[in-house]
Amino acid sequence: MQKKTVVQIKGVSKKIGSKTLIDNLTLDIPAGQVFGFLGPNGAGKTTTIRMMVGLMSITQGDILIQGSSIKDEFEQAISHVGAIVENPEMYKFLTGYQNLLHYARMSPGVTEQRIMEAVERVGMQHRIHDKVKTYSLGMRQRLGVAQAILHKPKLLILDEPTNGLDPQGIRELRDYLRELSREEGTTVFVSSHLLSEMELMCDTVAVIQQGRLIDIKELKSGDSENELHEIAFEVNDPQRAKAIIGEGRIEENRLIVNAKRESTPEINAKLVMSGISVFGIYTVKHSLEDQFLEITGGGHIG
Amino acid sequence: MGDFLKLVQNENMKIYRRLRTWIMFGLTALLTIMFGVLFSLEGGSTVLSAWDVISQLFFLYFLATIFSVIVASDIVAGEFTWGTIKLLLIRPWTRTKVLLSKLIAVLLFTIALTVVFMIAAMAISFLLFHKESSDIFAQGDSPLRYIMESLLYKYIDLVVITVFSFMISTVFRSGGIAIGLSMFILFTGNIFTMLFSPARYSWAKYVLFVNMDLGQYMGQGAIIPAAGMSLAFSSWILAAYVLLFLVISWIVFKKRDVAA
Repeated sequence: MQKKTVVQIKGVSKKIGSKTLIDNLTLDIPAGQVFGFLGPNGAGKTTTIRMMVGLMSITQGDILIQGSSIKDEFEQAISHVGAIVENPEMYKFLTGYQNLLHYARMSPGVTEQRIMEAVERVGMQHRIHDKVKTYSLGMRQRLGVAQAILHKPKLLILDEPTNGLDPQGIRELRDYLRELSREEGTTVFVSSHLLSEMELMCDTVAVIQQGRLIDIKELKSGDSENELHEIAFEVNDPQRAKAIIGEGRIEENRLIVNAKRESTPEINAKLVMSGISVFGIYTVKHSLEDQFLEITGGGHIG
Repeated sequence: MGDFLKLVQNENMKIYRRLRTWIMFGLTALLTIMFGVLFSLEGGSTVLSAWDVISQLFFLYFLATIFSVIVASDIVAGEFTWGTIKLLLIRPWTRTKVLLSKLIAVLLFTIALTVVFMIAAMAISFLLFHKESSDIFAQGDSPLRYIMESLLYKYIDLVVITVFSFMISTVFRSGGIAIGLSMFILFTGNIFTMLFSPARYSWAKYVLFVNMDLGQYMGQGAIIPAAGMSLAFSSWILAAYVLLFLVISWIVFKKRDVAA
């Protein structure tokens, strides 16, 4: 064990009738990370999250949070968790503050001062005493984050948190999450089918399909030196450039070469020496989306 | 962990921070007072004593029953409808405790509503009716005792229907079904008792409807109860039904997967 784990999902299955929604899922979530949970619609992301927070029963296996079983020691296990499961639904006839007070009363040691701290953290201090029914979706989302961090949980679980948010809302949410993870050491577990979002938010991504864990990818790991990258050279004469280098493929006015990172200057030098004008050099990053589609084979629901 | 009373406080906040709750209190008090005034305008103040009026006003107590049913029908189903159940159940409290806090909040509401009703009824009666002797209550009987006893029986009737509504709310997660079925029980109880009188059918005495009105055993004028039925018998039957309703609510609430 080189890293501390916050959550251990141990051989968890969920069956409803004859249908297996989650099939023997085992996953450890390390502390202090933003951990993504990625999969197409219907893959079992929400089901897994609902089992993690005790909203759904576990057919087989167990989930430990900070070492406590969600099945047998629910109160102990859940006290480490703050969560938004799908849209943050609030009591619309109460004010934002009353909503937070409601949840604060349910966790030990949350003072009024702490409530205001959480309110400020999500930038809601000006509207917190208005009724929730007057809030926009973005403001409800912020209130949702506030209720989830009230009791300073070790683990923050967010299910499809960006659903229905406008780009600015998504960006704000992303910033909160990064901040929380960095400043308070909160482990964040976030599910989404929005691949590009996950790429921007997460340190590690687990990919799930049809109830099975398919792959775990580290996104923020430093580029390993020996790996081949696709490096694009934007040049004035790609045909001639290809002839000089002797390999690669042409896309519009770019020559794309498979090479190690450290050989980039050499190639550049060769091109320049041969009188080719190089306008730009960059690494073609395989987006998570490409990898994701590769892994899931286009993503069939069923 | 923590303080269970805070859960009850939360449930109370969700009941009393809603406008409709105050409309219910207002209507209960207003209609009771209005009928008191009507009785007095009808010339009742020369015929009726204050206690007579209170016992007449008791027919309005069904308002309290309806409003209690409405609150009970919503207290669990509402959380599912609003989607707030997801945030409510992921706190360090077992589902049993969450459900219990809701039941207690409903019972507190029924008590509050009954108190408001009684205060309104007594206030208007003693304000407008000053006749000393009563035609309804015999000399020497204590009208207060009689009123309080029948109020108790009416309150028990209310609690049974309210707990029934609470169960339906929990099992079907629909406030509409809970209100509908509870109203059905409230209004068909008498018809059922007429059709399947325990005097004719021996099994009928175990049916909920037949036992709900404990007031039927009061006073000398009470109908001779059917074989084997008594105040104690009906009380036990009602207790058994209430327990059954609560156990069903508890099991369903505890086991349910929150998926929607």
